[in-house]
Amino acid sequence: MTEAGYTVTGMVCAHCAASVIEEIKRIPGVSSVTVDIDSGRVVVASNSPLDVMDVRSAVEEAGYELTT
Amino acid sequence: MTPLHDTDPKEFIASFFTSFTQELLASDEDAAVIVDRFHTSDIVQIADGHRIDRDKLIAHARPVRKNRPGIRMEVHEALADGDRIAARYTLHATQRGKDLATEVHFFGHFTADGRMRRAHMATRTVPAHDSSEKGSA
Repeated sequence: MTEAGYTVTGMVCAHCAASVIEEIKRIPGVSSVTVDIDSGRVVVASNSPLDVMDVRSAVEEAGYELTT
Repeated sequence: MTPLHDTDPKEFIASFFTSFTQELLASDEDAAVIVDRFHTSDIVQIADGHRIDRDKLIAHARPVRKNRPGIRMEVHEALADGDRIAARYTLHATQRGKDLATEVHFFGHFTADGRMRRAHMATRTVPAHDSSEKGSA
């Protein structure tokens, strides 16, 4: 199990967080996603390290932007 | 923008949110310009304890434009007192293939020309195809 943190901009409410979580959870191997709406911090737990490009694509599919 | 004092408060609050979203979706105009048309530069919204300032409103334009929600405001009641409005409404939204309904209890402070200066909102998700009146006092 591995865990990685990212910063996502544009989230302002629970619906925003739910959209981001839904898309990231589609990435194979992801076991959990937690979001702090105020800071934009997203923590993803997965079976093995994720390619940041996959996470970026998932976040952008939800409409948001991965900044770090 | 619609001046607050000339408008029925129910119409004002409905028009404010629908017009803001429609303007974001109608063109590629700089989101900051649109945000500033509807809000003061020191805007602060507190929604369910989350602080949303001008920068966050601008950043939120990106997902709005990507997801292009269809929104409809159902204002159950609204009261105006000078430059302040209290309202209870349900925001119906369709986006990403889902129907969402959010009941909002809103207190807002606006400028004379209709821009939002402060807002406090407590929200709850309600069944999308039901009236938010159910379960309310």
